[in-house]
Amino acid sequence: MASTNTQWGMVIDVDKCIGCQGCVVACQSENNIPINTEDLFNQRRAIEWIRVERYWEGEFPDVKARFIPILCQHCNDAPCEPVCPVFATYHNNEGMNVQVYNRCIGTRFCANNCPYHVRFFNFWEPEWPETLTNQLNPDVTVRSRGIMEKCTFCIQRIRRTSREAARDGEELSDDSRELNPACVNACPTDTLFFGDLNDPDSKVAKLAKEEMSDDGRGYHLMPQYGTSPNVIYLKKVDESTKDSNGSHE
Amino acid sequence: MLPGDFQPPKRPTGRRIALFGALGLGGVVGLVVVVVIATFVISAWLGLPLDAFGLNEGPDQPIAFPHPTHVEDLGLDCTFCHRNVTVGAAATIPAVGFCMSCHITVGDDKPEVEKLRNFHTSGIPVDWVRVHRVPDHVNFVHEPHIRHFSEQYGGASGTCQLCHGDVGSMVKVQQVRSLKMGDCVDCHRDNEAPTDCTTCHY
Ligand code: HEC
Ligand code: HEC
Ligand code: HEC
Ligand code: HEC
Ligand code: HEC
Repeated sequence: MASTNTQWGMVIDVDKCIGCQGCVVACQSENNIPINTEDLFNQRRAIEWIRVERYWEGEFPDVKARFIPILCQHCNDAPCEPVCPVFATYHNNEGMNVQVYNRCIGTRFCANNCPYHVRFFNFWEPEWPETLTNQLNPDVTVRSRGIMEKCTFCIQRIRRTSREAARDGEELSDDSRELNPACVNACPTDTLFFGDLNDPDSKVAKLAKEEMSDDGRGYHLMPQYGTSPNVIYLKKVDESTKDSNGSHE
Repeated sequence: MLPGDFQPPKRPTGRRIALFGALGLGGVVGLVVVVVIATFVISAWLGLPLDAFGLNEGPDQPIAFPHPTHVEDLGLDCTFCHRNVTVGAAATIPAVGFCMSCHITVGDDKPEVEKLRNFHTSGIPVDWVRVHRVPDHVNFVHEPHIRHFSEQYGGASGTCQLCHGDVGSMVKVQQVRSLKMGDCVDCHRDNEAPTDCTTCHY
């Protein structure tokens, strides 16, 4: 069982992201997310708990592609939480913003109040082609029509690993692939790190301490909203941004 | 006639008889409706069908597998057959091949054992009917429960009766505990187990 002062968090090193979409696919299959068709994208009803945004910088031939993976920031002061009339979304004692599907009544207030656009509404009953129904993850609830959903930091993996550690009398370690969310495991360039921000020995806590200092690369997305996220981004280092300080802010 | 004098009762008219008859019939129907509603309310409160008139009887299984024969007479442990119960989420029902380790020789003249052997030779798995089932949006895991209560109840097989009752004496397995959310959370509170929503819902 995770101790009560756990604070799950993620560090994303934007410098390493190559925009391969591996995390997106891994998340999609781990979490029983229905297939996003072209139609759904056009209707802006695609469901992607993590997405890779792409920006172009400069003029041809000196263009640079910039990638940034965006997922639920698990804010400590989450704008989505106070607007839910039925407490279907709340902050749990492990620092996560969680969504209780069976409690949700589908007002969509939370998604409208989220500045990161990382909450998704099921406008339709989810469907999979016949060939894919056997690959559904039995540890994750299939969300029905009319329900809000979002990144859970793959809580099913955290729960299972914590239980198995308790059973075998072992310590939880953030090196374990079983504990890490699917996106972290799938990343070929080690862009994503996951762990307990309150455990001073964890990778994320060390990175956070080092990079959130004055000369570090760390920043939060949209700090102007004061959401105090549990996801930390490390900004890109290359020739064009080396001298400018904090162009992301 | 003076006001206090005796008056013979008037004979009820035909219309009055019809009225009283209708009222009486309505009362009986109303009573039945109330009783039916009360039954629903009580069984919803208990979380189980009333244990009367066979309403809460377990379902018929493809093979009438008797727990008493195996548990009470043979003294088999629950974990001997439900092997995964101390390891993971599902307790699991043993495969036909597992039963055949005994039944290749035992129970020659029993028709139910004959059925079992037919399943074995045809290679079709038995489609047991589920008795206990939490909804899809709930994650129940056996292992931590067995681990937590084993010491107190003398081994893994002693803990099962907490939630399943005395299965060893049930010819047909039936559910005896509601195992609804209130039931789960009450026990979790009493034992200082986690009650965060994401313990059970994700
Ligand atoms: C010889 C193997 C064997 C042993 C020993 C055994 N069981 Fe079973 N059990 C089965 C089989 C086969 C079924 C499925 C058929 C049925 O439901 O009657 C089953 C079904 C069950 C079910 C119902 C599962 C459902 O569908 O919800 C429970 C509960 C259960 N057993 C508990 C126990 C307990 C408690 C013990 C120990 C007292 C025990 N069993 C011992 C073989 C066994
Ligand atoms: C440890 C050995 C053993 C195992 C394993 C075992 N059984 Fe049995 N079973 C017996 C014995 C002994 C009897 C009693 C036979 C008799 O009375 O002649 C019996 C009786 C039965 C009967 C007949 C009951 C009756 O009186 O009609 C059925 C049906 C049965 N078992 C099914 C199963 C199934 C299904 C499994 C697998 C889940 C299983 N058994 C596993 C030993 C075993
Ligand atoms: C804390 C309560 C609890 C205890 C203790 C418990 N069970 Fe269960 N059991 C359940 C619930 C709830 C279900 C329904 C699970 C589901 O639908 O996923 C279940 C389902 C089952 C099933 C059928 C489905 C499956 O998981 O394979 C079997 C067999 C079973 N239990 C056997 C056992 C045995 C054997 C023990 C003792 C070693 C035991 N249980 C102890 C609550 C309990
Ligand atoms: C008889 C008491 C009892 C009942 C009934 C009970 N639980 Fe539990 N449960 C416990 C205890 C005690 C623990 C803590 C075990 C430990 O980790 O030491 C626990 C742990 C759990 C865990 C694992 C928590 C973790 O650490 O990740 C889950 C999941 C769970 N219970 C779900 C359920 C559900 C769902 C039900 C109802 C169907 C239920 N429980 C009914 C006593 C109970
Ligand atoms: C110990 C496990 C456990 C915990 C903790 C728990 N639940 Fe439940 N919950 C259940 C079970 C089991 C059911 C299914 C009851 C049934 O069989 O209908 C359920 C059902 C529900 C339902 C009803 C769904 C329906 O279709 O009727 C809602 C809503 C719900 N839970 C919300 C919550 C919320 C909100 C929390 C946190 C405050 C929470 N639950 C915590 C076990 C749990």
